[in-house]
Amino acid sequence: MSQPAPQLELRSVTKRFGGVAAVDDVSFEVAKGEIIGIIGPNGAGKTTLLNCISGVYGLDAGDIRWGGGSIAGMAPYRIARLGIGRTFQIVRPFGSMTVLENAAIGALFGRDSARLAPKEAFKQAGRVLELVGLAAKASLPVSALTIPDRKRLEVARAVATRPHLLLLDEVMAGLNNVEIDEALDMVRAVHATGVTVLLIEHVMRVIVGVCRRAIVLESGRVLAEGEPEVVLRDERVIQAYLGERYAKRLKS
Amino acid sequence: MVRGDSNRRWRRIFLILAAIAGAYALLAPLTSLDAAQSANVPLLADRLWFRLATITAMFIVMATAWNIIGGITGYAAFGNVAFFGIGAYTTGMLIAKARWPFLLSLPLAPIVAAAFAALVGLPLLRLRGHYFAVASLGVGVAVGELVQNIDYRGQPVFGGASGLFLPIYAIDNRGLFFFYLMLAAAAASIAVTWLVLRSRFGYGLIAIRENEEAAAVLGVNTTAYKVAAFSLAAALTGLAGGIFSQWNVFINQDNAFPIEYNVQMILMALLGGTGTAFGPAAGAVLLQLLIQFLGGTLPISIDIPFVSTTARPVVAQIILGLLLVAVVIFVPRGIIDFFGGRTRLSLGYLRRSLRETSL
Repeated sequence: MSQPAPQLELRSVTKRFGGVAAVDDVSFEVAKGEIIGIIGPNGAGKTTLLNCISGVYGLDAGDIRWGGGSIAGMAPYRIARLGIGRTFQIVRPFGSMTVLENAAIGALFGRDSARLAPKEAFKQAGRVLELVGLAAKASLPVSALTIPDRKRLEVARAVATRPHLLLLDEVMAGLNNVEIDEALDMVRAVHATGVTVLLIEHVMRVIVGVCRRAIVLESGRVLAEGEPEVVLRDERVIQAYLGERYAKRLKS
Repeated sequence: MVRGDSNRRWRRIFLILAAIAGAYALLAPLTSLDAAQSANVPLLADRLWFRLATITAMFIVMATAWNIIGGITGYAAFGNVAFFGIGAYTTGMLIAKARWPFLLSLPLAPIVAAAFAALVGLPLLRLRGHYFAVASLGVGVAVGELVQNIDYRGQPVFGGASGLFLPIYAIDNRGLFFFYLMLAAAAASIAVTWLVLRSRFGYGLIAIRENEEAAAVLGVNTTAYKVAAFSLAAALTGLAGGIFSQWNVFINQDNAFPIEYNVQMILMALLGGTGTAFGPAAGAVLLQLLIQFLGGTLPISIDIPFVSTTARPVVAQIILGLLLVAVVIFVPRGIIDFFGGRTRLSLGYLRRSLRETSL
């Protein structure tokens, strides 16, 4: 089976804050149509990595390539226009707007070749809300939404930009089991529309549930990479999450 | 449903009042024409009327323009008077020194003001919150000082401390002409705002106001949008300044760069309702009427007890200040909020607002 050409390619990406390398020499590829998960303990550099890809941070070393060209150091809005959408771990809704208007902003802007006029953008926003299960709440102000719904809205807004690649930053964090199942269905539905998904998660269930491939980060470095079930049994991964003593006990 | 009916009634009352006020403002000046006077039509607009009405229209332009950067984009610009002064001095210099005709030099006022805004906006709009407010205030003050004090070979370039005198624009019914011109500028600024609020540009600006990082990752070119909004506000404000200079015939630092305009235009926008197309205009009319009423320049007047007529302007300022504190606390979305058909003025509304604004 021939490997499809990588859509996103990270080459030795490094980001330092002062003396600390939050992301240290990270390289991997994401193929078109994939769902890939990035996991790792708190402070492993997951969100920093995502900020690097989406242009929120510049790189200290390395390169990020998208469809063959370098996007390292590009402004966030230009990266969004190339078709890379993202969500924020701490949701950042447009507070004075309704749910529909929030999603419409994504449709009004976003990927260059797919920009819509206001009227069309609102229609598109309506369709996206349906996809993520927020259609019934379209006319509510954001302040009326529950936490899980706000996370859905965060995803809806990013999906409305019609990205080729969607970066999801812990959209399941803080949700209960039932809510996680619903959110998983939402991610699968978005993926089924042809969007490549890279998701950062803390919750193992999520990674196992939707990803075919997972990358484990620890202290800014790639610790392991492969099928989620295999990666999660990796001794180094267990050690990173639960400590050396627990890993030894598990082994014996 | 009772509530909805009452809202509709309020809205209708407001629209009727606005229509009457608009018709009065449009038609009253016509009674000053010779033809009307010889036909014994009562004079509804004298010199004082024209003065007050033109200034009110001027403040409609400034408050509506400020709203584009301050209300819609959420960047509290405290130095917009710089654009008014730049517009006034651009037109003034072209007329007084280069001997250009007024109507040819007027279009340059918004262009120069917008170009200046783009120039200072690029570095300034990187600042947020208080930092931007203070920095823009600094620019507002600095431009006025520069204009007064720039010398070339010992001669003041812009007229210096003695100001700049313009030749009187030779036209019949000057007062009427300049009132309608300023009113057209006011209408244009409201129309521009209305269009902006319905465009991709406007949605981008609101997104920047609500969360700049989120707007950026959705594909909004935040820097370009902010600078464009700042320049648009500057262009409209500069247009008002350009009209003012020829209308007033004399400009100097005091009347082209009055620091208090910075505060007044913001208060008008707040009073009327920031972020809306008509709010700042409504606020400008109300506040201007109130200022004139308290100052005793309106035909209708009341005696303020225990206050001598000479102290009236000071007392007027105090009353104004108290009123504005009350507005910010109790009607944070401006009075326009009552006319959208969703909310109405009640004790409950004031209580809710107090809860929202006090943390």
